[in-house]
Amino acid sequence: MKRNAIAILLAASLPLAAHAESYTVDPAHTYPHFSISHMGFSTMHGRFDKSSGKVTLDRTAKTGSVDIAIEASSVSTGFAKRDDHLKSPDFFNAAEFPTITYKSSSMKFKGDVPTSVEGNLTLLGVSKPVTLTIDAFKCDTNPMNKKYECGAAASGQFKRSDFGMKYGLPGIGDDVKLEFEVEAYKD
Amino acid sequence: MQELLNHPAVQGGLAPFVVALIVAELLQRLRLSGLAIIAGFAVTVYMASDFSIEPLTASRKIVLLGLLSASLGMPLMLLKAGWLRAVLAVAGGLAAVWVVQRILQQQEAAAIVLWGVGCMLYVGWLVFWMESLNEDSVRAGSAGLALGLGSGGAALFGASALLGQFGLALGAAAGAFLLIQMLSNSPLPCGRSFTLPLSLVAGSSACLAVLTAQLPWYALPALAVIPLAAKIPLPAKAALWLQSLLLSALTLSCAAGAIYLTWRVAGAPPL
Repeated sequence: MKRNAIAILLAASLPLAAHAESYTVDPAHTYPHFSISHMGFSTMHGRFDKSSGKVTLDRTAKTGSVDIAIEASSVSTGFAKRDDHLKSPDFFNAAEFPTITYKSSSMKFKGDVPTSVEGNLTLLGVSKPVTLTIDAFKCDTNPMNKKYECGAAASGQFKRSDFGMKYGLPGIGDDVKLEFEVEAYKD
Repeated sequence: MQELLNHPAVQGGLAPFVVALIVAELLQRLRLSGLAIIAGFAVTVYMASDFSIEPLTASRKIVLLGLLSASLGMPLMLLKAGWLRAVLAVAGGLAAVWVVQRILQQQEAAAIVLWGVGCMLYVGWLVFWMESLNEDSVRAGSAGLALGLGSGGAALFGASALLGQFGLALGAAAGAFLLIQMLSNSPLPCGRSFTLPLSLVAGSSACLAVLTAQLPWYALPALAVIPLAAKIPLPAKAALWLQSLLLSALTLSCAAGAIYLTWRVAGAPPL
């Protein structure tokens, strides 16, 4: 009787497990971008050149997870002197906190398409909830390498002062806009 | 007004100078004028950063170290033991390693030893030699002016404005401490509450700027010479303003050397 119950439970869980797909982020097509006001005169854009991570998706059960690690020292704004300053303790403090992470806690779906991710951004050793809205999403076989992959464009916003990054406030804006382009290959 | 208070030159220069001037003058009768240095530093921390300690980053450890050492400096003045200078130097060196601990932990073993020992020796050296000046307020003030401006200027050129402001605040506060003596032609009480936070904050800030920004390690020896330059013999009967000028000129030339070496590597500051 007990053995039958276990067998039924296993059988019931199989379809769900079969739909949960695991993906590995493609660093060559995954770039977190950010933009911030420079004294109200202009909006400066930057990006991180190195990131990695894992994504899981179960479009049937409408669940999923995102786990991204970003190398703080790979920050790039197109001007080396500014990049050095951004890596210093004034901003990303890359020597002391080399990794920025984003770990999801839940994912919302519309039909079988994810529409937003709720999770924690950890920056400068401080973790705060940040919601990413998924603006575009596509899963298909890459025509070049024939591998199955998913891609998404997500965006969000946070206040850098919430993470203790207070240098240059209020001239250099507090609100940071995030734009996250990600591609991930199915494992 | 808020725009003025947000200006880096006000936060790291004018505000600590004015506050140190007031504190040094007001606490003169209590023989606690040496606290002017930490008062100037604290006002810069308040304006440019904050006093929170979570998470306890290296720069926040420096703030904590400055405040604790200034408090500790007062009771330590009651101790006249000869060994205390060496003990404080060793403790200062260990404190510097604690400041940069998280950064060192992410390095290779050889780099941990190299940078850990380097920071320990540099800060220990500064504490040891600044200690020898704690009863000579003109020499301590001149050394403080140069050590603060040198460490701050080099850190600023080395791409960390916050660490730059820390050092410049010390320099501005020491300048105020020195100015009162020059104008009144009488020495102020100095003590360990002046020399201890000065050497720990300036030393640790420079070490941190080497590890996290672009301050070259070979600028540190130029800064390390400052307390020795402030010990050069001068005519005993020379007026205090003249002593201050001569000592400041000598110590500031060492500071200028450190800033020049950093400028050659890093270029203009990130303004």
